[in-house]
Amino acid sequence: MRRLALIAVALGALAACKQTAAGNAVAPAPEANSGTQVKNATGGMIPDRSYKSPAEHLFVDKCGMCHRAMGMGTVILARRVDPKIAMLEQRNDLTRDYVITAARNGIGNMPRMQRGEVSDQQLAVIAGYLAKGKP
Amino acid sequence: MTPTGPSPTELAAAVKAFAGAIGAQNVFATPEDQIAYSDHYSPDESRHQPGAAVAPGTVEQVQAIVRIANEHKIPLWPISRGKNFGYGGAAPVLKGSVVLDLSRMKRIEVDADNGTVLLEPGVGFFDLYDHLQNNRIPLWLSVPGNSWGSVAGNALERGVGYTTYGDHSARICGLEVVLPNGEIVRTGMGAMNGSKTWQLYRHGYGPSWDQMFCQSNFGIVTKLGLWLMPEPEAVLGVDYEFDAPGDIGWVIDTIMPLRREGIIQQSPSMGNWLRSAAVMTTRNQWTNDKGPLGEDVITAIRKKFNIGWWSVQIRFYGPLEVAQASLNVLQKAFNGKKVLLAKPAKWTKGDPPEGSPFSGVPVTFPLANANWHGGRGGHIGYSPVLPPRGDLALDQFRRTYALYQKYGMDYHASFAMNERSLTNVNQVLFDRDNPDMMKRVDQFFHALVADARARGYGEYRTHIEYMDLVASTYDFNKQALLKLNQTVKDALDPNGIIAPGKSGIWPAASRGDQA
Repeated sequence: MRRLALIAVALGALAACKQTAAGNAVAPAPEANSGTQVKNATGGMIPDRSYKSPAEHLFVDKCGMCHRAMGMGTVILARRVDPKIAMLEQRNDLTRDYVITAARNGIGNMPRMQRGEVSDQQLAVIAGYLAKGKP
Repeated sequence: MTPTGPSPTELAAAVKAFAGAIGAQNVFATPEDQIAYSDHYSPDESRHQPGAAVAPGTVEQVQAIVRIANEHKIPLWPISRGKNFGYGGAAPVLKGSVVLDLSRMKRIEVDADNGTVLLEPGVGFFDLYDHLQNNRIPLWLSVPGNSWGSVAGNALERGVGYTTYGDHSARICGLEVVLPNGEIVRTGMGAMNGSKTWQLYRHGYGPSWDQMFCQSNFGIVTKLGLWLMPEPEAVLGVDYEFDAPGDIGWVIDTIMPLRREGIIQQSPSMGNWLRSAAVMTTRNQWTNDKGPLGEDVITAIRKKFNIGWWSVQIRFYGPLEVAQASLNVLQKAFNGKKVLLAKPAKWTKGDPPEGSPFSGVPVTFPLANANWHGGRGGHIGYSPVLPPRGDLALDQFRRTYALYQKYGMDYHASFAMNERSLTNVNQVLFDRDNPDMMKRVDQFFHALVADARARGYGEYRTHIEYMDLVASTYDFNKQALLKLNQTVKDALDPNGIIAPGKSGIWPAASRGDQA
């Protein structure tokens, strides 16, 4: 089923995601695997909190918990769009205005982002990051 | 009549003063801001819509706001990060209150040797996780199912997690609080200038006040000390699935003795099939029938995801041989009993990351259950505390299940096994785009609270809409505890500016108005 596929995709996407050496590089060192680990339901994964630019850092800080792999937003979006583009950073159709409107008004199950949490200036930077050069 | 918030004129004057004190860029008073700080998941957002929000960046700014609020008699609703979903989010009990948004205060001071942290309220679980990872500090968090929120805020609301440190308010050690008169107090050992043990010894000298600021409106917590778990050598355990609704009784009676003895040191939470399924699928994939779900639908969903009617996850932490010995005791207890599935879990130091809330990895995907009905989902929590007995849990389950059916809602429940009690957390999942369903929610909630009260059970926590209702069930000696709370409230906060109505505690001036 598509639902299952989505979780599987979300899991797979995270597993495939290599920690980058640049930016913050949260790389837990798996030196000596005892070889006996039994993985749990999440597949033994940790959230991808890596970033390579200040804009990406801001995205990770304010949005990454829900909009990277296994996040609530990614899980729900994978029900509505092609699971391959369920993570916002995978999309090429986001405009700045759309990102700002969605964040401030909320959308579906996503609550509104308050200005105390994300300032207008910060949101503009995040919107620019997700719009990838589009207006 | 209901207590009322400030008038538009009073609010406008206060907003101007707030802007003067902390900068106009940190005061949010547009209609969009009022909506943004409302409870996105509640049945009726307008009932608890704030008048404005202010976001101080320092303790001194918090004090300045408190002084202005006293001068203008403006109620403040402090939030840490405002992600208390199911219980009100960022929104105040009293409509028109000014939300005091502490999310910009994000200082973290870890004592790695002693396994403690001193946090400001804006620090989220992901922030603290990043801090520990980036600095390679071998301490683990205890995270809630939705880890988007504040570490301090969650502990102050008595939130829970999955590890042996899961009773978060019990791990608080020392607070810094701005009192309603603007004075700063430090609790416990922090009461001494230059104290070396603020985060190390909880009780302090004389009366101990940390718990007084949990679920209360007696002050604004600006720093919170918390104990963190040293990374253990091993995490061992079992994920159990059970086939029949009636299994809840004997399973609790099997686990509870080990919990009481301290063999099991986290609070295993036994959840029904929908707790698992609501994260993975939506209702309309399985049926178009709006009525109660039949066992045929439930069976199909369970089969698809290979889950039991109930499931429970148990974990042991510590040196490998200690965890293994505890695990052996657990497995012996389940020997010969009818388990549908027992999946072992094992992690030892040196393995790749365990990667789940059981090792304190923050997550948000459990909140996807809000999407169970599709549409704009929402939920409120109903969480009575029970004695830790299987027969009583079974009875509670059957009665609550019948009420869910009666009101046409889908049963979503768990029973967390504490050392001496069960916390029965029920989610009322609804679709805000379904007016017919939304009409039933309020009556349903009243019925649930009355049902628990009739058995002598009270809730440990509730939504802002129901704070008076739940307070009214704590009725020994004509609500003597509420009267004590009111006495304290009036002494500390004569102008009634901090979170009026929190936990049913109203300041003197509004008390005649409610009920």
